[in-house]
Amino acid sequence: MLRLIVPLAAVAIFFACSWTTVRFFHPREPRRFFLLYALVLLVATTGVILHYWPIVSEEDAFGLLAALLLQLLACLTMWNAFYSLLWGFSGSLMHDLFTDAHLRDRERLIKSYEGDGEMDRILARRVPNLVRGGWVATDGQWLTLRPKGRLMAIGTLVSFKVFSLGMGGGIK
Amino acid sequence: MLSQVAFASAILLLSQTAMVAALAALRPKSNIYVTIVLVALVTSPVVFYSDALLFGRRLTVEGRLFLVLVHLALGGFLFHFITLPDRSVTLRLLVELERAPEHRLSVPMLAGRYSVRSMIGSRLTQLADGQFIAIDASGRLTLRPRGNWFGRFVTGGRRLFRITSAN
Repeated sequence: MLRLIVPLAAVAIFFACSWTTVRFFHPREPRRFFLLYALVLLVATTGVILHYWPIVSEEDAFGLLAALLLQLLACLTMWNAFYSLLWGFSGSLMHDLFTDAHLRDRERLIKSYEGDGEMDRILARRVPNLVRGGWVATDGQWLTLRPKGRLMAIGTLVSFKVFSLGMGGGIK
Repeated sequence: MLSQVAFASAILLLSQTAMVAALAALRPKSNIYVTIVLVALVTSPVVFYSDALLFGRRLTVEGRLFLVLVHLALGGFLFHFITLPDRSVTLRLLVELERAPEHRLSVPMLAGRYSVRSMIGSRLTQLADGQFIAIDASGRLTLRPRGNWFGRFVTGGRRLFRITSAN
């Protein structure tokens, strides 16, 4: 069980690197850095564990696998918390309610998201990212799914069915 | 040996996924995240004693504990995976485009199918159900103690990471 200390150390390093990157360098897509750090730390953990606990039995193999999966899970949890709680829609909503007493009214809150332009605050953030990422094409008037966008949408629809999620998107 | 470990891990993941999917189908109104956590925890003792079935021999106690940790970690990955289709606004936008004729929509049509009003309305209801806020008949929103704690957490986290502009 001693070998589980290695992923604990790696997770601490992951947080420190991620925090430093986002706080001081403000990258446009922090997830690219999160992915890079997570992968490098997985390689490092594998190296350290194999050095001290070489694989000679199924127990050792499961020890390594448990360490790597727990490390990846902890990194993913931080990553997901960052995006859903601090950066995402739910976190923003709660942030608005907490910091601006004027918005503690359903209609005023909705109006603040609807804005005055063609796109509301939600679409204005996401549509350009989808176009830039190659998921959606636009000719200025129409948004059309590109092949990789279709693949992702079909995968999402399958998940809706398999796990009885309704229509997803945070709507119950 | 490594292929046996990979096979055992695949069996653990598939069995958890199948159980969660079956329970979600039987009780569609239940909370899928609670289901995932319960399935992972309740089946852990079974996994602890399944070593002979998976490997044809008994593992040491430490080996069996590692087996259970792998099982729990896989449950954690399933939990994270479900948040994508269930919560992601971006994926829902792609789904709306997929369901549209010729897989295309104008921005006003997209906003009409998945409106900010319905999104916020639903999230506010979920926050009220979770005791984070209270909503009165006139639409006034009041932060409950849990909502104040969550608001402080989000605001503090944003300050920690110096996030000034988010979604």
